[in-house]
Amino acid sequence: MTEVVTNNSNKLKAKDFITVGIFTAIIFVVEFACGMLGYIHPFIVASYVIMIPLVGAIPMMLFYTKVQKFGMITIMSVLIAIIMFVTGMGFLGAPLIIAAGVIADLIAKSGKYKSFKKTMFSYGVFCLWICANYFPVVITADAYRKSLTDGGYSAEYCNNLFLAINYKTIGILLVLCFVFGCLGAVIGKAVVKKHFEKAGIV
Amino acid sequence: MSENIIEIEHVSFKYKGSEEGLLKDTSLTVRKGETLLLTGASGSGKTTIIRLINGLIPHYYQGDVEGKVTVAGRDIAKTELYELAGVVGTVFQNPRSQFFSIDTDGEIVFGPENVGLDPRAILERKDLVVSEMHIEKLLGRSLFELSGGEKQSIACASVSALLPDIILLDEPSSNLDQGAIRKLAGQIRMWKSQGKTIVISEHRLWYLKDLVDRVIYMDSGKIAHEWSGKEFASFDPGQIEQLKLRPLEVPDILSPGCGGDCDCDGSCKVDLTAPDPAGGITLKKFYFSYHRNPYLIFKKNFDENDKNLSLCIPRLVLPKGAVIGVIGKNGTGKSTFLKCICGLEKDCKGIIETDGKEYKGKARLKLSYMVMQDVNHQLFTDSVESEVMLSMTEPDKERCEKILDSLGILEFKDKHPMALSGGQKQRVAIASAMAADAKLMLFDEPTSGLDFNHMEKVGHLLKTLAESGNTVLVATHDPELIELCCDYVLCIENGKLGYMKRV
Amino acid sequence: MKLDPRTKLFMILVVSAVVMMSATTPFLWAVRIVMTLIPIILLIIEKKYTSAFGFTFLYAAALVMTFCFINEASATFFKTFVTGYSGIVVQFMPCLITAWYVVRTTKIGEFMSAMQKMHLPDGITISLAVVMRFFPTIREEYSSISDAMKMRGISLGGGNAAKMIEYRMIPLLFSCVNIGDELSAAAITRGLGGNVRRTSVETLKLHVSDWLLITAFTAVAVIFVLFKYVL
Repeated sequence: MTEVVTNNSNKLKAKDFITVGIFTAIIFVVEFACGMLGYIHPFIVASYVIMIPLVGAIPMMLFYTKVQKFGMITIMSVLIAIIMFVTGMGFLGAPLIIAAGVIADLIAKSGKYKSFKKTMFSYGVFCLWICANYFPVVITADAYRKSLTDGGYSAEYCNNLFLAINYKTIGILLVLCFVFGCLGAVIGKAVVKKHFEKAGIV
Repeated sequence: MSENIIEIEHVSFKYKGSEEGLLKDTSLTVRKGETLLLTGASGSGKTTIIRLINGLIPHYYQGDVEGKVTVAGRDIAKTELYELAGVVGTVFQNPRSQFFSIDTDGEIVFGPENVGLDPRAILERKDLVVSEMHIEKLLGRSLFELSGGEKQSIACASVSALLPDIILLDEPSSNLDQGAIRKLAGQIRMWKSQGKTIVISEHRLWYLKDLVDRVIYMDSGKIAHEWSGKEFASFDPGQIEQLKLRPLEVPDILSPGCGGDCDCDGSCKVDLTAPDPAGGITLKKFYFSYHRNPYLIFKKNFDENDKNLSLCIPRLVLPKGAVIGVIGKNGTGKSTFLKCICGLEKDCKGIIETDGKEYKGKARLKLSYMVMQDVNHQLFTDSVESEVMLSMTEPDKERCEKILDSLGILEFKDKHPMALSGGQKQRVAIASAMAADAKLMLFDEPTSGLDFNHMEKVGHLLKTLAESGNTVLVATHDPELIELCCDYVLCIENGKLGYMKRV
Repeated sequence: MKLDPRTKLFMILVVSAVVMMSATTPFLWAVRIVMTLIPIILLIIEKKYTSAFGFTFLYAAALVMTFCFINEASATFFKTFVTGYSGIVVQFMPCLITAWYVVRTTKIGEFMSAMQKMHLPDGITISLAVVMRFFPTIREEYSSISDAMKMRGISLGGGNAAKMIEYRMIPLLFSCVNIGDELSAAAITRGLGGNVRRTSVETLKLHVSDWLLITAFTAVAVIFVLFKYVL
């Protein structure tokens, strides 16, 4: 395998932008594939926070081996936010996604993009983007519930309706994303080692 | 008196972390307007020279460089790649991975857009290039729908649009059929007439031998021989074979005007050989279509009378234990044919009958094994040994080692398949095929982009497989391969059987 | 009908915002439904009949279920579940339909051009273009890999979920990395990544149809907000 130049300057070059684009596409395919399973049973929607960090960890750990400069992870989160907006999943999640991306980038940078522990935490934070999928549901569910109570329906009815979906749930989901992100990073790293390092690409 | 436009002075190069493709103290000069052919075995350094000229070495590929490269008066080491865009254009080997856009128009204007030209100027260039190359009918289409040859045409147009003085081509004919290769030759001829300097790295020589001014033969990182174009074109087949190069003359495999070894009178439209069904493999009722009527919900059972069938073979008997070359223009159904036979196309409900047994549906998958064109798609594990064992229903280490040994790759058994070279990976795929013990083996273009040495080895392997009792079907564009190992040739035209004859 | 991609992005913006606010009165519901019908009509204009009718059918069904069951005094678990589910579907359909319309009818080049006009940095535009370009590639690669898996009988990974994922993901990643390397080389030798700002041959201009739709959607948004919060 021929090795590609790793740039000395810290400016992002065309090759870096292309790499970000490729892995963003892969992450979206992973999300889409897991999402398909969600249509079978809506409660699986909650398991996004488990499946996507784990399955997505494999490509992401490979991506992290190619990240040597600040900005790549941030740009990936910006792209995710843009694509989510254009595909109709709303813009409320954008601040969360981009903030998660920037923080993840900073964490990884503090480890000079080489420390595995920092990579693990970085990926855990990055995975918070997945919760942006839930934002529209939470916001609208809450507003919906309020409008129902306004309309005179019993509080019990409303509570039953949206038992699982409220602000507290989002908190739990965020934590789950992070935890499974870290776990995924460990698994992903092992897979990357088993294949890509052994094959000499990394 | 044309000056030197490319000067490579005493360059030595070694890729970081690899022993392949290195150069040892190589010097080369190219005159302006010259058409130069670089040839030699895989790994001899041809692609490395191309990369030195277009600047990918040292700006993209890392390694240890010594010496100096000057292109159009610029020292490559000191020139950024984007500055070279208007000077050197490169057409790469793989049509499907070199385009950036999704549509043809976007791809042609990609280069000029990158250098920030005025949109009107860009459109003028686009019109110029399109009319020069006569590719009007390719405009406004998705690149994913085009054939390999059409994609390569767009790649050439995209490179032309930057109006470079030097054009480099790195094994451009690798994935093309003979018709497309002829078009490519026409394209090169046109560039030549425009006074461009052209450097081509290639294995296939037949379409270039009358175009080139000079031929350079590389061996293990050094320039071993140099001939003028005329000298080279007049070599006899013996000399060419000694150099381990692919033949200078190849027959047009698609014209059934045969080599005269059949008793027809030049009109080979008939199924000339009809092997005995008892001793052969009979294919029955293979009908399939990619076009589905969108407003009909389900129509999965195709039959003979359907219009627009991509594949229509009511009955065909294949001889057992033979190597059968499957030929046909790109897009006429060779790949569809192979995929349907081995059972990968679920909606094709053809039946295979052999040795008194019938195989339908999924059973066909067990009976046959297809080695695909892109080997990377069928390597799944992290060691060669486990890759081969994956095919076995009962893991048998001894048998695995025997197979690996017979293919000459036993030494790699613990290596990761993706760390091997192209030829070695292919042998791993063949090893998996042998481990699966399939009676019917199908190969889709196994020799694209291989040098003569490797092609010979593949031909030899196919023959050995057939001698062990397997029936081998190999879809190919390479007449050389057919000559090397095929017993029969099967021609598919528009999804139907054209003819089948003995070679 | 050719719309400027910026108009389409504006449409998505308005629709996304309006669905955030829940409709409480019949009038607001009517406004919402009108807003949802606009992209459906646009789909029909673009001759995408299957999707247009499919979406209409689904939306209508979800609407019916939401309103029907919400009036039940006795709320069994099943009914509340269905109502909740339909309610969520109703919330998101307008976004989905609009997004579907935009994605299906916008060319990459136009989209990139719009991004540039909106002053997004070249780097992000390039990355986005690569994302778009890679989706069909991933589909092609995956299809071949899937065939190879069928051939070798490992599609189900021998019942092991981890193996199933490994067999799919690893060849796909190797392929993508290889294609990515070749793609980058081919793009860079054609001048990508220079100091010059990229230009685009797509000329974007807002026409009458654009202004009509922009006005229509702005009106929808304003009316909705007005009637919900002010009046």
